[in-house]
Amino acid sequence: MISQNVTHRPVRTFVTMIAVALEVTLVIIVIGVTSALLMDSAKRTEGVGADIMVQPPSASVFLGFTGAPMPVAIGTKLQQLQYVQAVAPVLTQLNSVNSLEMVWGIDPTSFRAVSGGFVYYSGRALQNADDILVDDVYARAHKAHVGEMLHVLGHDFHIAGVVEHGKGARLFVLLSTLQQMSGATDKATVFFVKCDRSDHTLAAMDKVNQLLPNYTVRPMKDYIQMFTASNVPGLAALRTVMIAIAVSIGFLVIFLSMYTTVNERTREIGVLKSLGASKLYVARIILSETALLCVGGFVVGIGLSFLVRVLIRLLFPSLPQALITLEWCVYACLIAVAGGLLGALYPTWMASRKDPVEALAYE
Amino acid sequence: MAKRCRGLRLELILKTENLWKIYGSGKMEVPALQGVNVEVAPGEFVSIMGPSGCGKSTLLHVIGGLAKASRGRVLLDGNDLATMNDAERTSLRRHKVGFVFQKFNLLPTLDARHNITLAQHIHGNGYDPHRFDLVTNLLGLGARLNHRPSELSGGEQQRVALARAIISEPKIVLADEPTGNLDTKSSDAVLSLLRHLNRELGQTIVMITHNPEAATYGNRVLHMRDGMVVDSVVH
Repeated sequence: MISQNVTHRPVRTFVTMIAVALEVTLVIIVIGVTSALLMDSAKRTEGVGADIMVQPPSASVFLGFTGAPMPVAIGTKLQQLQYVQAVAPVLTQLNSVNSLEMVWGIDPTSFRAVSGGFVYYSGRALQNADDILVDDVYARAHKAHVGEMLHVLGHDFHIAGVVEHGKGARLFVLLSTLQQMSGATDKATVFFVKCDRSDHTLAAMDKVNQLLPNYTVRPMKDYIQMFTASNVPGLAALRTVMIAIAVSIGFLVIFLSMYTTVNERTREIGVLKSLGASKLYVARIILSETALLCVGGFVVGIGLSFLVRVLIRLLFPSLPQALITLEWCVYACLIAVAGGLLGALYPTWMASRKDPVEALAYE
Repeated sequence: MAKRCRGLRLELILKTENLWKIYGSGKMEVPALQGVNVEVAPGEFVSIMGPSGCGKSTLLHVIGGLAKASRGRVLLDGNDLATMNDAERTSLRRHKVGFVFQKFNLLPTLDARHNITLAQHIHGNGYDPHRFDLVTNLLGLGARLNHRPSELSGGEQQRVALARAIISEPKIVLADEPTGNLDTKSSDAVLSLLRHLNRELGQTIVMITHNPEAATYGNRVLHMRDGMVVDSVVH
């Protein structure tokens, strides 16, 4: 009976399922894109290849939220510690011209010592003050080529090379250039430390902590785990708001759909009651129909999420691919069904309380 | 479930005592039933006739437990409907009453088969193929079971409704103008089936009708006027 009711009104079923699908897609894509952005940023930072990251006291795990209060000279002291093989000072700056990107100021020699160096797809290393390196993802997204000019941080840079992505930022300039541009002469945001052996990481961290008490010293192997939405100011709230909007869509559409359905089927409800159907039986029919619409909408929503992910990749190639995880698919399903059932509560209550004589007389 | 009353004449399947049904309140009171006393024995086929608005349908709704009496008693198979709450009357309808309506009231989304088995599912015993075959063969529905109501004639729809009403072996079938929407031929067929059910299966039937000819299919005809039973004729 439930499936027949759903298939008997195909337009209503289609519209309701699409609305639930949009709800599911909104949840999955918002979570997927934000997670992917976090993960991509974490992986690229991890991809530098360092074993330890040294930051100022109370610094955020997100480099973009940290200023540049550390003297570069600290790097020299770090370099002299036992177990330390190489130290690379990096100054970070957020570029908001044309797109939102982190720009890293690096010292090519020390950065190479820590990271093993860039893989060049074209061009050469940083040499001049106005040189800039872009990674292949950025180059593809912005159709940037070696030899062209790139306007970043209010300055015109010359693209010296295109490098393989995955080593920190997508844009790199000389450390001295970025220090000069940002008025942070001889300062760095972070020091990436490479140990002589990775199993000396903890021992090296002890040495760093002794040298720089109160500084933030993090092992890179735990870095990705620290990149959570709750660590980004406002991100958890943004996710909550987006999920609330999605749930509201599902709630309202299901409410309207089931409300009109119950009114439209008043006479049928009267017939069921004349046959001896209890309030619970009538309620079960309405709620089962709602659950079926929600699950159908969820299945469509999953398909739609994958489609939207492809579209995002096509339209915004610099964005990482949205992460669609089983965990969030399950959450989205639960959110859709819960929102739907909540929306169906009043219509269900209305249906179950209908007077059978009045319902049978309904035209 | 049902509350049984001591000291009843249990040979009666239905008995109403000084039954009143009043709609509205205060100066707006409209009495639909005014002290109706009816007795129906098991296996009887009782027709109820009367002009529009005389309270026939109200009586049917009250004795079927769809509506509650304002005063008086309704004893259905020994159960006093006046003392029952909504859930208890619902359960009583499920197990003891079968309704047939003028407008058939089949569910448009279900085919004939599922309209009939729906009553079995609500009854709680699930699908009983033996009973299903017996009833559908008796009513000549074998070839029409996979059709939806919109694909059936009026007579066929009413036969499906009749099958739905008796599939769970109710103690009493209450038919509200079952031929009101049918042509003469289909009316005769439905009335003959009701008589057949009554005579061959001993099914107790109470039928409301406007049609004097249809009323003669019953063993007894009750005449109503202004919410009261004014005459009883035995055929």
